[in-house]
Amino acid sequence: MSEKVYAFRCTTCGAVSYPKHMICPKCRGEAFEPVEVAGEGAVLTYTDVYALAVDYETRYLRLAIVELDGGMRVTGQLLDEHPRVGKRVRTTVGVVREPADKPIYGLQFVPA
Amino acid sequence: MRPVYIVGAGMTRFGRSEWPLVDLAATASLAALHHANLGKIPVDAVVVANMGAGRVNRQTAIASALVDRLSLWPAAAESVENGPASGASAVKVGYQAIASGMADVVLVTGVEMMRAVDGLEATDFVASLSHPEVEYIYGVTLPSLAGLFARLFMERHGVERRHLALVAIKNHDNAMKNPYAHIHQPVTMEGILTSPEAVVNNPPIAEPLHMFDCCPVSDGAAAVVLATQEVAAKIGAPRVLVAGIGQATDTHAVHERQDPTDLKAVRLASAAAFERAGLKPSDIDVAELHDAFTILEIAESEAAGFFKPGQAHKAIERGETQLTGKLPINPSGGLKAKGHPVGATGVAQIVELAWQLRGEAGGRQVAKAKAAYACNFGGFGNNVVATVLRKEER
Ligand SMILES: [Zn+2]
Repeated sequence: MSEKVYAFRCTTCGAVSYPKHMICPKCRGEAFEPVEVAGEGAVLTYTDVYALAVDYETRYLRLAIVELDGGMRVTGQLLDEHPRVGKRVRTTVGVVREPADKPIYGLQFVPA
Repeated sequence: MRPVYIVGAGMTRFGRSEWPLVDLAATASLAALHHANLGKIPVDAVVVANMGAGRVNRQTAIASALVDRLSLWPAAAESVENGPASGASAVKVGYQAIASGMADVVLVTGVEMMRAVDGLEATDFVASLSHPEVEYIYGVTLPSLAGLFARLFMERHGVERRHLALVAIKNHDNAMKNPYAHIHQPVTMEGILTSPEAVVNNPPIAEPLHMFDCCPVSDGAAAVVLATQEVAAKIGAPRVLVAGIGQATDTHAVHERQDPTDLKAVRLASAAAFERAGLKPSDIDVAELHDAFTILEIAESEAAGFFKPGQAHKAIERGETQLTGKLPINPSGGLKAKGHPVGATGVAQIVELAWQLRGEAGGRQVAKAKAAYACNFGGFGNNVVATVLRKEER
């Protein structure tokens, strides 16, 4: 599918930010280029959350913060029946939320 | 800067409001005004803390509405929205008005009426404070951020679920002594953790956090009257000084923090508040912490400087944070059992501490309390206001 998730690389110092900042937190630079968020990493922490927001029909959601190889961290949905802190995963992009108007695509993690 | 005193404090019982939004705010305000007993001294300004009335109650500009309800015209008035830290932020705005000389008397009222909507909508309303592009879209809610934080923090510091349960048990016990608390229900280790029934009594909310690790959804209002030294002397109020306020922010997305278990904004805000107050954490006799989740009471008590990293859960085990302990934490019952009407919470913490310093806290009075600390934790730690109060002897 064409949906992709982007981080932002500072063209001055090379630091990559996710989410976007309009001033680089490292060097105060103001010019950025998008870089695709994709690859492998390790689960830093995860949770099964039953206190859900609107737009979800499931009983619970499994969410995780993953540290990608290279050091950038991302939050997303963990699609893994046997989650464990430190486990290797890779990113995919899928529908992460479905409000009435249109589906929203975002990061999902599957076992590497 | 002129010194600023708390000369009156009042609140409504937290839980489900029997009044419309502005009447709820007005009821707490009246209690604080009666407590202050200002006589003919006018209120120069009104600051209202509120997070969601525009969305949840479909009412905006509630500071103007409150002035009108209390016939306080032509007092200046504004609302402060700063997420769950709205309350202490509003106190800060009132403090600045007096310290700067722009006002002599300020009424600060926090109010929230979250039970006007169902639980799903209330959870979503609070979740809307998370980062819209990299957190909210995934279904992130405040409990999920707390669950992610808790797993990491507990693993790193050897905190177990029984330590979290000890926080809940203590705060529920304290709330039993607080007539203003939302929840009057003692809980036991057996009931929420160790008995077979605990699985049913205490279902998971955001693993490893369970229901009794989370605050309830509450309506409620709390108010304080701030005044100059001159006004405080004129009305003969006990001298509860706002000794120092500190505030700090951190990254919006939790995953972007260098160490997601380090509550940096709590650390920086607390250090600033202590420095301005000329006090150290060890000088504090009583504290109100933002235990929207039990894990936060543990983590904040370390970040504020009361315990070394990884030591708070051990202090809790030794009973040091109980009412009769070395540093009583959340004598009011905390957000956990007193309740958490988000915009009112930061003001309610200051109300409790003002009562404690005046010796008016009834069955939950901390003996000889002279200095007090509050942590109002906004976002998931991305905007924190710390306040230090001190009783001046006359
Ligand atoms: Zn840069």
